[in-house]
Amino acid sequence: MLNLRKYNKREVITGYSFIFPLAVILILFILIPVIMAFINSLYQDVSFLGEKKFIGFRNYIQLLQSGKIFSSLRFTIFFSIVSICFEIIIGMMIALFLNEGFKLRAWYRALILLPWAIPSSVTGKLWLILYDYQFGLWNFLLSGIGIDAINWLGTPTSAFWAIIFANIWKAIPFVVLLLLAGLQAIPVDLYYQAKIDGSSLLKRFTHITLPLLLPVMLVVMLFRTIDSIRVFDLIYILTKGGPGGSTDALSYLGYSYFGQSNYGYGSAISVIIFLITFAISVLYVYVVSRLNAGKKIRGGK
Amino acid sequence: MRENTIKKILMILSMIIIPFVILVPVLWMIILSFTGEPYFLSDISSIDLTLEGYKYVFFNETLGYWGYLKNSLIVATFISIVVPIISSFAGYSISRLNFPGKKILPLVILAISMFPPISIVGSIFEAFANLGILNTHIALILPGIAWALPFGLWVNISYFSQIPIDLDKVALVDGTSRIKILFKIILPLAAPGIFATALLVFIGSFNELLFAILLTSTRAAQTIPVGISTFQGSYGEIIWGPLMAASTLTTLPLIIVTLYFQKYIIGGLTRGSVKG
Repeated sequence: MLNLRKYNKREVITGYSFIFPLAVILILFILIPVIMAFINSLYQDVSFLGEKKFIGFRNYIQLLQSGKIFSSLRFTIFFSIVSICFEIIIGMMIALFLNEGFKLRAWYRALILLPWAIPSSVTGKLWLILYDYQFGLWNFLLSGIGIDAINWLGTPTSAFWAIIFANIWKAIPFVVLLLLAGLQAIPVDLYYQAKIDGSSLLKRFTHITLPLLLPVMLVVMLFRTIDSIRVFDLIYILTKGGPGGSTDALSYLGYSYFGQSNYGYGSAISVIIFLITFAISVLYVYVVSRLNAGKKIRGGK
Repeated sequence: MRENTIKKILMILSMIIIPFVILVPVLWMIILSFTGEPYFLSDISSIDLTLEGYKYVFFNETLGYWGYLKNSLIVATFISIVVPIISSFAGYSISRLNFPGKKILPLVILAISMFPPISIVGSIFEAFANLGILNTHIALILPGIAWALPFGLWVNISYFSQIPIDLDKVALVDGTSRIKILFKIILPLAAPGIFATALLVFIGSFNELLFAILLTSTRAAQTIPVGISTFQGSYGEIIWGPLMAASTLTTLPLIIVTLYFQKYIIGGLTRGSVKG
């Protein structure tokens, strides 16, 4: 074991110079733009080429007063929580299914990957026609079992669920793959032992699977949270924030201000989304480092 | 024994429901690409198979499918070549060299990777407008590289740290330089990981929409996702046959690549997030 206080000078120089290109790119294209977004959010500008006027936090105040940011925030949070709950529950069921030994297992695992491979722009357009009131397949299938056609993208509630269903479909491969990897790392002996001791299927799940899978589930949930908070593609294609602004996710709201060349508001929204996401990623980094520390105490993986 | 029956029923149900839910939308896309309009649902007998959609996509110049495809391929190829190289250097450094800050650095980079794209795209737009490089491939390549680097780094760290460090030590004693060790010893051994990174980064940048939509506004650099999401007929209506034909044409290669290389994709995805 190397003494951490004694660094080899050459090694340190090599170490930094190997990281240098990566650091420069991240600083130039991610860190500085975030700082610039904050600076821009303090200015009022009609167009980015026009004159800028420093107005302090007035963009934020106006955003807060308009109430739009709150409905957007409420939608984004509800959307994220509901999506993730469903994704974890459905993903867990599919992962448990794929963790069983059966003949066509490799085929099913490949099948699960499909929605991941499809670009979200295509997924969006595809679900747009699936949801069509008159000619959509979903309404056609519903009418087949005697349920009235639903105006999927036409009312705030149904649009909320429509986006969630499409989003779950798109995200399920990622969730399943990660949970499956976690399941496969659980030693089979534990289950045998529990079976011999006479514990039931449900008990084995709640006493062995769930606790051992918890770290992986946390990781999945945090990755999905980060991804859901920034949801843009599906909203852009399916609802454009409608009907009546009811599905105006934060990213889409920011986008629409940028689209109207309102860079002050757009930047202010950007900063707000950034702060929310940053808080979550700090929490995540904390959890990861805690888990790593735990691993070390238990002597590796 | 009741337990086994329940389990069996659940397994059979899953075997039926899962393919249905996953496959139906994909098949629907392919069916629509051959039927033109979805109106046949009201009267199945009116269904009419046609290649018009594909003809439109292949030959219609106002649509310009091949231009979008070319732009997407250029952007995604560039990003997926540069990212593995830069992240290999950084990955080697973090997984094998000893220097102050080596523990915290990957975590900081992980946190950076979680920044929402919308929070940087406005400033990037402004900067690129001033530089006069909006509507060029480079405008999509630069932020694309930055966006994919943290992921590439994490996958590489995970693969590199599985290679015994003694290999480096022996080579160092022989007087081999670090760069040579990286290229001659580590990279060949970590080739599956590098390939997985390149593949995932390629697919990710091929599909990227938000940057592409804000940083490009003409055919010169617009990518497939932009083309698909703005696709319309001459009266602004959605023409479903050609749209679904273009979607199928774009998606099928991606699906084939994904299925063919699924081992790498699954390995890369799980390492990039769980094990790291």
